[in-house]
Amino acid sequence: MAEKPTLREDQQLLDLEPLGQIGSEASASGGQLTRRTFLSGLGAAGLVASAGPLSAAAAPMGQAEGAAGAHTVLTVNGEQHDLGMLDTRVTLLDALRERLYLTGTKKGCDHGQCGACTVHVDGRRVNSCLTLAVMVSGKEITTIEGLGVPGRLHPMQAAFVEHDGYQCGYCTSGQIMSAVALLKEPVGPSDHDVKEGMAGNICRCGAYPNIVAAFQQVRNHSTMNG
Amino acid sequence: MATQTTPPSQSNVIGRSVARIDGPLKTTGTAQYAADFHFPNMAHAVPVQSTIASGRIEKLDAAAAQSMPGVLLVLHHGNMDKLYRVVPNDFSATTSEARPPFEDRTIYYWGQYVAVVVAETLEQATAAAAAVKVEYSQTPAKLSTNLGDYAGKRPSVSQRGDAEKAFAAAPIKVDQTYVTPAETHNPIEMHATVAAWEGDSVTLYETSQGVVNHRYAMAQVLGIPRENVTVVTRFLGSGFGGKLFPWPHSALAAVASRRLQRPVKLSVNRTMMFSNVGHRPLCEQRFQLGATTDGKLLSLRQDYINHTSLIDDIDEGCGEATTYLYSVPSLTVTRALAQRNVGTPSPMRGPGAVPGLFAMESAMDELAVALNMDPVELRLRNDATKDESNGQPFSSRHLKECIETGAAKFGWKQRTPAVGSMRRDGRVLGWGMAAASWGAYRFPCAATVALEVDGRVTVRCATQDVGTGTYTIFAQVLQEKTGLPFERIGVHLGDTSMPEGPMSGGSWATASVLPAVSSAADSVVKTLLQVANSTAGSPFAGVDPAKLQLTAGRVHQAGEPAETGVPFEKLIAMARLSRISADGNTTAIFEDPKAKGLSLHSFGAQFVEVEWEPQIARLRVSRVVTVIDGGRIINPKAAANQIKGAVVMGVGMGLLEQTVYDPRTGQPINGNMADYLMATCPDTPEIDVTFLDYPDLAMGEYGARGIGEIGLAGVAPAIASAVYHATGVRVRTLPVRIEDLLQSRIREA
Ligand code: FES
Ligand code: FES
Repeated sequence: MAEKPTLREDQQLLDLEPLGQIGSEASASGGQLTRRTFLSGLGAAGLVASAGPLSAAAAPMGQAEGAAGAHTVLTVNGEQHDLGMLDTRVTLLDALRERLYLTGTKKGCDHGQCGACTVHVDGRRVNSCLTLAVMVSGKEITTIEGLGVPGRLHPMQAAFVEHDGYQCGYCTSGQIMSAVALLKEPVGPSDHDVKEGMAGNICRCGAYPNIVAAFQQVRNHSTMNG
Repeated sequence: MATQTTPPSQSNVIGRSVARIDGPLKTTGTAQYAADFHFPNMAHAVPVQSTIASGRIEKLDAAAAQSMPGVLLVLHHGNMDKLYRVVPNDFSATTSEARPPFEDRTIYYWGQYVAVVVAETLEQATAAAAAVKVEYSQTPAKLSTNLGDYAGKRPSVSQRGDAEKAFAAAPIKVDQTYVTPAETHNPIEMHATVAAWEGDSVTLYETSQGVVNHRYAMAQVLGIPRENVTVVTRFLGSGFGGKLFPWPHSALAAVASRRLQRPVKLSVNRTMMFSNVGHRPLCEQRFQLGATTDGKLLSLRQDYINHTSLIDDIDEGCGEATTYLYSVPSLTVTRALAQRNVGTPSPMRGPGAVPGLFAMESAMDELAVALNMDPVELRLRNDATKDESNGQPFSSRHLKECIETGAAKFGWKQRTPAVGSMRRDGRVLGWGMAAASWGAYRFPCAATVALEVDGRVTVRCATQDVGTGTYTIFAQVLQEKTGLPFERIGVHLGDTSMPEGPMSGGSWATASVLPAVSSAADSVVKTLLQVANSTAGSPFAGVDPAKLQLTAGRVHQAGEPAETGVPFEKLIAMARLSRISADGNTTAIFEDPKAKGLSLHSFGAQFVEVEWEPQIARLRVSRVVTVIDGGRIINPKAAANQIKGAVVMGVGMGLLEQTVYDPRTGQPINGNMADYLMATCPDTPEIDVTFLDYPDLAMGEYGARGIGEIGLAGVAPAIASAVYHATGVRVRTLPVRIEDLLQSRIREA
């Protein structure tokens, strides 16, 4: 007999919760990001990590997956996850999504062509689908879940809400992770420069103009105040 | 004045730009899409694809795959559960491919699923899928991209006057053939199904633009009662038409899950996205325009043909916008289908109209050149005052104003007509334009609105938000009707256990849901006021409900300020109720007496600037002005985003997109996102969107027509027109290629 399928606790919550306006930074501050909200947004990463919303207990991981295994410990959003002897074929993307249930990071192509899977490894943006999980054992990985949560958005997340920097939302995690990393890269001031910097993240809904506007707002506020 | 009079509308939230209510979920990775669902003990399925385009499976050896670590099951034609077809032309239960997976051993197209491997992990299933050995006998595949040699029947689509005679007699003629290539929808979210059985009922977590249809169709395919199928799509990573109807992988996941008695996830990969889940078919269209020397159309003939699969006859419908856009006394439209060994086509954003308008508006541009007339002037001269295909008046048509407004915003007056005559910053400029149109539809919808004892108002409807902002539109109506802030409004969509709503397709979701939500909200308020009147202890006990009203969440006497009233949840609690709920319904537009005898369409105009650098043969779309007559716009912020996104897609259609089938194998040879080019961030032009915002009251009280497709219509022909203006090269086969541009005689900027 099959086990009765059940949702994870947080999924059940979401499934029962209707969509409502979850107090966003964007509406609260009218998009006027102060240095304080900017910093508190960044601070959210720590909070989420310690809240540790997901447990890996149910994952079919570790023993005898049929290929070479390697002991893999991933540090994601500040929290360590021991994945045991992990199948070395597992990409960072699939480790996040299918083993740690951090499904905020999306798979759009699995070939490094779309950017939907962008995460930070030691502060730099990478395509997690082109990264084997074993390669980043011991490195600092940040995913969209580590950036901010509803009600306590990172300034880039808030700016995406304010500027409608998405439609379907599927490329959005990758766009935001890319944009946050781009803030620290040497990118010129014009919209054109930003477009080039974001060229690796495809949005089939075509929300590009609003994505660029969101990026520019965050950058201008953070340099102005900091 | 603190007093408020009875407002039909509590706020001006309808028609106001609001941030999407699901924004915080989408920006934090919290929104759950189909492939994000996980269950304990879930197994992973990976399909095996055919490596030939035409033939038969002679032998399928799954032994090696079966014995690989973690493998639980290999399904194929030889051991598949019985699956059924759906009733043909039953529009409430439609599948994309008529043939259920593994029905026979015949191969109809490259990539067709021939087996599916299920294993404990995705990696194990992927490895084992590669180990399934299949031997085929091949038959010659029909893969020619030339549809011009078609010799079969050409059934009539529309007919008036005598187009042949009028064309022969016309002093000015255009007679050209236009080709639009196969295109792939390529939403960033790949299709996926997570299937989980409980007894003899199944829940399918789906990437669906129509959960209700998906339920009806899958019940038929699986041969189980409809009530045993639940389909859930909480969030959808867009679809553009590709996710309207179930594809074979949904049945594969359901069967695998039933066999194993375990939840199964099947995620289509990007290669399969090009072969197994639809595409816009290759279309070839001959246009013959006859006109007077002063530019009045005398005749129009369109003969179109599109390719289809061997399994299904899918008519792209390129005549969609041809018959009513312009005034022309003689008109003939014919259609034809050419079977090819490709996967089944499916509607893609603006099906029919978008390729049809590429051809028609390109032909109009050529006519303007032949007449030595401004293309704007040519359109205005041929504006139609009624739908000449059926004699009906338009419910609301402002094409002329779209064109005039667009021309003014674009600065069209500065245009000099000669090819290559305009320059800026060392580049040649090309300015082009085209008209756009798309039908307006409204389909049945039911919705339940409830005032809850916890002070919230909720709505439930089994439609889904494809990404356009449907969640937020529901919330806007509830806010308008109750005066509650978004924080106290809950919207539940995307689950077939709720009242049945429309598909998200054809730009009709908004127009279809609005009347249902609005009428449900009105009845729920009415019941609330009756409860206020009849509940013992209520301050309004015995007060005529007609003298009461709900403002900002409070029930109060009409004419008194809202603050003198009582929060509605207090009254619900006094009456010892958990909630007061009511259902609302939308009727289909074709059953609505208000819309009877009217021709319902949206209109638009696209103005495009390209920059041409002849020295390095580089072309860029630099600026687009779009004016849309799409009825009333409910949320201008999301609407403008959608139109801009459609324009971006139009840049791809004009300059980049084409699915190329290998003529030897039938494999989409550029079946990945590096080789199938789509517009990226740097390809994005400056885009200026204007909505005329005339409510179309034939559509319902809000007058919304829907804007999902119209933004893409007309972009590609406007680009081709601008390309001609800059380079002198007339491109009649999309996309515009560098090879085409190298023919330009404009060698210097
Ligand atoms: S999924 Fe990694 S780049 Fe597309
Ligand atoms: S928001 Fe849909 S792909 Fe970017």
